[in-house]
Amino acid sequence: MDIAELKGELEKLHSASFGWALSCCRRDHAEAEEVLQTVYLKILEGKALYRGESSLKTWLFAVIRKTAIGEYRKRLLRNLVFIGSTEKRDEPATSADAPPVIFEKSEIQKQFRVALAKLPPRQREALHLVFYEDLSLREAADVMGISIGSARQHYERGKKHLREWLSDTETENGIVWRRKETQSAV
Amino acid sequence: MELSGEEKKLKALFSELKATDEQTAPRFAGVWNRAQIAPRRIRAFNPAFVAATALLVFGLVSLAVWSRYSQRMPQQPMVVSVPTAPAPTGTTAPSPSNEPDMKPVTPHNILAASRANRLAARRHAMLVAANRKLTRDAKTIADWQSPTTALLTSPSDEIFSSLPQFNQSTTQLKSFLPTRSN
Repeated sequence: MDIAELKGELEKLHSASFGWALSCCRRDHAEAEEVLQTVYLKILEGKALYRGESSLKTWLFAVIRKTAIGEYRKRLLRNLVFIGSTEKRDEPATSADAPPVIFEKSEIQKQFRVALAKLPPRQREALHLVFYEDLSLREAADVMGISIGSARQHYERGKKHLREWLSDTETENGIVWRRKETQSAV
Repeated sequence: MELSGEEKKLKALFSELKATDEQTAPRFAGVWNRAQIAPRRIRAFNPAFVAATALLVFGLVSLAVWSRYSQRMPQQPMVVSVPTAPAPTGTTAPSPSNEPDMKPVTPHNILAASRANRLAARRHAMLVAANRKLTRDAKTIADWQSPTTALLTSPSDEIFSSLPQFNQSTTQLKSFLPTRSN
């Protein structure tokens, strides 16, 4: 796949890629944009090479995840180095001060984001890939670099946590959800 | 994939989130163009490269300063005589014709020279003692005689060890002839 063709495919996936980068960067828009830019740079420099072993989306999401983890570690190191400085450097944005606050359409959505942010990273990733990106559990496992069994566990646990939290929220709001055992995503 | 009621609810929440994210997503062209420009900037401020270069420069400067300092150190005019070690096979003392090595010694190797001297003297003493013992043993072995040596001698040894001469008397010659018995 030549670079022009790859660019076209990346453009089609750009929106989904940004959403995944947001999830990997704890909903920090600036960081997500930087990660996405670094991913494109890696692709341009040939450091990230698509060999067609999986779907382009799975491969791209795996690269984004790895890059986000790397950037997060670099940021941690930088913060350690400048720990004595008074200047606040690259503080991860919380759901309260992030730019999309203006786009909050409902209180439920805001609380949902908070609940999502409280989930362990693996569980959040599994849920995001399945519900947000419409990937199967196998594809999600490929992106996360784990076995499908582990991915299923993270998915089920995350779903359980989210269900409990949302149930509490909706009970407060007077809404009762229908409880039912769910099928697996695969 | 069939979704249950709760999953549908979660899906709806995620869809809403996705719609929000799509509105705030940066343009692809902008991110792509920045990525194309980025390499030069990143290479210019690579902290690992800068740190490695600084370390290398510091090492080179330190080496240069150290070498200059060691060259400027005053040479010691003192000359210490270090006798050479004697040959291991010889039992005699080193010949007077062997001149001791005269080499200038800096304060750094005075200690080493004295240690070498002590070692050489000790080795020489040990060799002399060993050679004396060997000589004594060899002499003892050479002088040793068997207790039965006296039994090997007889009065006729002289006859067997001497030959008759032409100017000897017949009576003396007869003693060499075998006796005839008629």
